[in-house]
Amino acid sequence: MTDFLEIYGRQIAQAAGTHLYYVLLSVAIAFAVSLTLGILLSRAPRWANIILPLLSLFQTVPGIVFIGLLFLAIGIVPATIIIALAIYAIFPILKNTYVGIIEVDESYREAAKGCGMSALQALIRVELPLALPAIISGLRMSLVYTVSWAVLAAMIGLGGLGDLIFAGISSNNNALILAGALPAALMAILCSLGIDLLRGILIPRPLRRDVL
Amino acid sequence: MIRFEHVSKSYGGTLVLDDLSFEIAPGQLAVLIGPSGCGKTTTLKTINRLIETDKGDIYVNGRSIARLNKVELRCSIGYVIQQIGLFPHMTVEQNICVVPKLLKYSKERCQKITHEMLELVKMPYEEYAHKYPNQLSGGQQQRIGVLRALAASPPIVLMDEPFGALDPMTRLVLQEEVRRLQQKLNKTIVFVTHDMDEALTMADTVIFMEKGRIVQMASPDEMLRNPASDLICSFMGKRSLNNQHLPQTVADIMRDKVVTVTKDHGVRASVELMSRKNIDTLILTNADGSYAGVVSVDRIKRSGKGYKTVEPLMNRGYPFSYEDEDGQVAFDKLIDGGVNYVVVLRRDRTVAGIVTKTSMARSMAEAVWGNGE
Ligand SMILES: Nc1ncnc2c1ncn2[C@@H]1O[C@H](COP(=O)(O)OP(=O)(O)OP(=O)(O)O)[C@@H](O)[C@H]1O
Ligand SMILES: [Mg+2]
Repeated sequence: MTDFLEIYGRQIAQAAGTHLYYVLLSVAIAFAVSLTLGILLSRAPRWANIILPLLSLFQTVPGIVFIGLLFLAIGIVPATIIIALAIYAIFPILKNTYVGIIEVDESYREAAKGCGMSALQALIRVELPLALPAIISGLRMSLVYTVSWAVLAAMIGLGGLGDLIFAGISSNNNALILAGALPAALMAILCSLGIDLLRGILIPRPLRRDVL
Repeated sequence: MIRFEHVSKSYGGTLVLDDLSFEIAPGQLAVLIGPSGCGKTTTLKTINRLIETDKGDIYVNGRSIARLNKVELRCSIGYVIQQIGLFPHMTVEQNICVVPKLLKYSKERCQKITHEMLELVKMPYEEYAHKYPNQLSGGQQQRIGVLRALAASPPIVLMDEPFGALDPMTRLVLQEEVRRLQQKLNKTIVFVTHDMDEALTMADTVIFMEKGRIVQMASPDEMLRNPASDLICSFMGKRSLNNQHLPQTVADIMRDKVVTVTKDHGVRASVELMSRKNIDTLILTNADGSYAGVVSVDRIKRSGKGYKTVEPLMNRGYPFSYEDEDGQVAFDKLIDGGVNYVVVLRRDRTVAGIVTKTSMARSMAEAVWGNGE
């Protein structure tokens, strides 16, 4: 075991670092895009009813196929994997943002308006805070999925924990597979815990009970 | 304060408000009542332009609201919506300060407002300011809903069935509280309800609507005495029937030994007279003996300096009724007006006496148990 860590320790740490970098960067991009888009769609539900089903259809295209296409278009640069991951990460956040805002009870919207808030003020002070639990759970979903999708980076030689897993598979080395898979699983759990922490900071305790 | 001129509104061909014209005077509490779907909420929301009218004009403080900036208009009109609508992600303090914050009041000022507001409903700041709505009872939430509407001290407050979801006891308490706040802060309130009891206890003016029109606009006693339609009668149910069992006139329930002086009586002499007779108000007459108004010792103490006679300090608007009117009239004025007594006049406007809670209770007791021991 210690031998194993001596040989692979550095490699694992490095792969995990790259992996995390891909995950965080792509989810951050996805978050910015989907928050904006979700807000815009919530202003135009008619469009949302067209765009959201289309996006969910796209979500069923296998990741490998999509990364392959993007690889052909852009080449072996980190941007390829980051764009691909970001695109897959958009949907859960987008959908939850949109639904979260749309489902804000009409009475709160009316109260906001009746108090004299402009549409923007109502959005920032009332609708988004009330949609926050949904948005955060979308973010959690995206983050956890992206940790596993990022394994695909290794397919086009961009490193990450997938490197170890694929190397393990091709050399029939189970220890090596685990050396990639366990840190990935651990990373997913830590990300989830990180989101819990964020939720704890952003959502006051008395309001926390009805969250997924 | 609020004036509707030929206001109409329709949704897809159905007329929801049909040529409404009415006026609500400053400082009045007007209650809109009528069957479900008659257009009460719609009427209310046209006042702060949550709903735009098709035809007609609405004036607030003499200015046509169509020409005012919507956001400014709404900041100057408090609004309590049908379902309370406290923001669940904000504390009591944040909820109360929503409008002051929109008006960019300083933090200190907002906090001061919260203190004052919670004080009004006897909810200690330390205990409640930092609670969230879901940590409050229904009645407390509704109080905060009312405070939120009052926080930026708007001259007008709109309330849409604010107590609909409350148990009868809490409801009574809150009705009284709103009435008290309204008089204390001198607000003009438009209040929507389904409940005739609520309307009759709270209103200065009741506006009864049906199918988008006003069927009757009258004071509670006027409506009780002369309901304009069968529907109004059925809304009043037992109340209007019960009244027929009380044939007593005002003269039957009044006290006839009262102290009157002419309105040119000296200020100091009046105070001296009141303290000698152990009373806190004097009834004033004109030189010909007709009723002129009343003056209270408080009023004299507060602003009597520099006056020779009590005339400039006189309150001409004090409630009175005529001795041959139904006792119910004086009763309603006494109870709803929150005053200590009602002046009773003869038809020639000379003073006949006063109705106090005690004189009324005595005459009621006589009616029930007979005269004397
Ligand atoms: N947005 C709308 N679109 C179409 N019709 C509407 C709309 N809002 C209200 N109405 C109709 O207008 C009429 C008056 O509605 P309003 O809400 O003013 O009634 P209300 O007197 O407040 O009733 P309730 O006592 O049930 O609250 C009703 O017939 C209602 O169906
Ligand atoms: Mg209504």
